[in-house]
Amino acid sequence: MADEQHSAPALEVRDLTRAFGVRKALDGVSFDVPERAFLSIFGPNGAGKTTLVKVLTTLLNPTSGTAKVLGLDVVDDAVEMRKRIGLISHNPLLYPDLTAEENLLFFAEMYGIEMPEARVAELLEAVELDHRRLDLTRTFSRGMLQRLSIARALLHRPEVIFLDEPYSGLDPHAMDILDGLIAAVRADHTFVMISHDLDKGLELCSHALILARGRLVLFEPREAIDDSAFRRTYRETVGMGVA
Amino acid sequence: MASTSMRQFRAMLRKDIVMELRTKEMLMSMGLYSLLTMVVYFVALSQAGSSFDPRDIAAGLLWLAFIFTSMLGLNRSLVHEKDQGCLEALLLSPVDRPVIFFAKFIGNLIFLLIVEALTIPVFAFLFLQGNALDSGALALIPLVLVAGSVGIAGVGTLLATMSVNTTGKDFVLAMLFIPLMYPLLLGAVTATSAAIIGGPEGVAAFWTGMAWVVGYDVIMILASYGLYEFIVGA
Repeated sequence: MADEQHSAPALEVRDLTRAFGVRKALDGVSFDVPERAFLSIFGPNGAGKTTLVKVLTTLLNPTSGTAKVLGLDVVDDAVEMRKRIGLISHNPLLYPDLTAEENLLFFAEMYGIEMPEARVAELLEAVELDHRRLDLTRTFSRGMLQRLSIARALLHRPEVIFLDEPYSGLDPHAMDILDGLIAAVRADHTFVMISHDLDKGLELCSHALILARGRLVLFEPREAIDDSAFRRTYRETVGMGVA
Repeated sequence: MASTSMRQFRAMLRKDIVMELRTKEMLMSMGLYSLLTMVVYFVALSQAGSSFDPRDIAAGLLWLAFIFTSMLGLNRSLVHEKDQGCLEALLLSPVDRPVIFFAKFIGNLIFLLIVEALTIPVFAFLFLQGNALDSGALALIPLVLVAGSVGIAGVGTLLATMSVNTTGKDFVLAMLFIPLMYPLLLGAVTATSAAIIGGPEGVAAFWTGMAWVVGYDVIMILASYGLYEFIVGA
């Protein structure tokens, strides 16, 4: 705890608002997350979880307020910030008409990785897809796509990893691989994960956050969370059963 | 920084070409559409009287075909990026947005020029066969084809990016693209028509049309370059 209190925040979000027309997907959200924390974000569909992650990953500009990741502003320092973050989404974010290897080599070029072939080979082995490296990804199963997507997100060794419902649609083997990869880099990285699975989210997190209708309902460190009270708050605030 | 951007540009262009060579979606759809348009023109004009000179309208027919054909390809070039969230992954990487614009623009330009190169011999065979043509002036046609295609691909890439997230993207692209093509069409048709008719007057008119097209290209490409970051971040 002492280290945590003295380290610079990995995420600093101040009064963040993002509107689409008159509808506010995020409405005055503020919180800080320390480095090497694991933040789990909960909330029903339409709560603003994905919008929050899109703003924090520079994919959307905020309407008002500020957000910093690793001290870098999501608007002013976007290019520098993108070198230091990675996103694993429920969408694979891969080109179906390229092979697994071509996909990773393409993104390695985008990130300016030196000796990309060696890094790509290392990651294909880590996600157990080296035997399929020359196959088009359109021939891959959902689990294989997600494993390759993990490799893509880790190519440039990001310091903050965003996970947007990463377990969605995964078979048990792929879930084990994802768990293993997270565990392997957990100590040195900051994670931000959107999840509908309270058990999984609470198991992994050091901090938890609930959003509803674009507003921050709850933000607490894991040690301050009483699981049954948290689940009750989630149900009452969100108005839906626990997943 | 410049070398990083060039490396990213080359990687994006290579990726688009590799994917197109595998799927042939853009080239097949644009090529077939363009050739079918020629056939439709031929059938529609087959009953014209003996006084009808196809050279009078040849340039207009040709550029109309290219404008409509290009819309097919432009939409497809961005739909590839939307598949499985690839555009999102691209935007997550530390690449300057104008680099993405130029890579997509040059890719679209290459594919459009290939389709034009396939279409023109067919067009000449169907409509210009047996007409007296000035070979010196005709040699200028590739210039206006390239200049006109630069405008089509540049503006089209920007508008396709804007429309790709909309529900009726084909309709939205057409509604934005066609009005913006009017000035280009005017210059390109003037120059092409002048080259087909030939003679000293034709050559002079050709350069007037070319100046119009090049001016359009410069203004619109600079505007597209400047707006692209705003469009993808909005």
